[in-house]
Amino acid sequence: MVLHTLNGSPSQPAFAQCLRVLGADDALLLLGDGVYSVMPGSEALSKLRASGAELFVLGPDALAAGLAGALPDDVRRVDYDGFVELSERFRRQQAWY
Amino acid sequence: MIRVSSVLVVTRHAPYGTSLSRAALDTVLAAAAFDRPPTLLFLGDGVLQLLPDQDAAAVGTRSHGRVLESLPLYDVNTLFVDSAALAQYGISRAQLPAGATVLEDQGISQLMSEHDHILGF
Repeated sequence: MVLHTLNGSPSQPAFAQCLRVLGADDALLLLGDGVYSVMPGSEALSKLRASGAELFVLGPDALAAGLAGALPDDVRRVDYDGFVELSERFRRQQAWY
Repeated sequence: MIRVSSVLVVTRHAPYGTSLSRAALDTVLAAAAFDRPPTLLFLGDGVLQLLPDQDAAAVGTRSHGRVLESLPLYDVNTLFVDSAALAQYGISRAQLPAGATVLEDQGISQLMSEHDHILGF
């Protein structure tokens, strides 16, 4: 039960490293360039789904990237308060950047 | 008559994570202001700069897409885009700005060898 945060785009090493350890009991919050991991139809999204982890995206960063209007149904959008709530829900947090 | 040398600007990073994408555009605009509009190539994560509907107000910066839209005003009309990166991110060609040309690896290689100078960002 770990909250992972990912800042890197899918072409960064942080993405692959996060994917290696991401488990079905974990949650992943995408922020910064990490939001590009949930683009509909992308290779990255299929890989994240296969992990079984709960997927979250930070709303303001998705908005900046132009992705807010096209988020997949299984990716939940959270604001900064939601980020705090996630950090309360999970005792452990691993930041990938 | 002196031949004007040609410049290719290669931009390879997503718009907001670093300032590199902005630096690339500043370079393009500066060169264009001196009547030397360069050729612009979006490679790898650089294609993410082209996504429509960017709204960067929420993260306290200017939307990169807006700056890109201003390029034709500076006579920068030649945009080239990495085909493999579009496929990787599931971006359709319909989402690209008008006038963008999609290139396979071989085309990118040729584009680089056709220019006198390459500036990478």
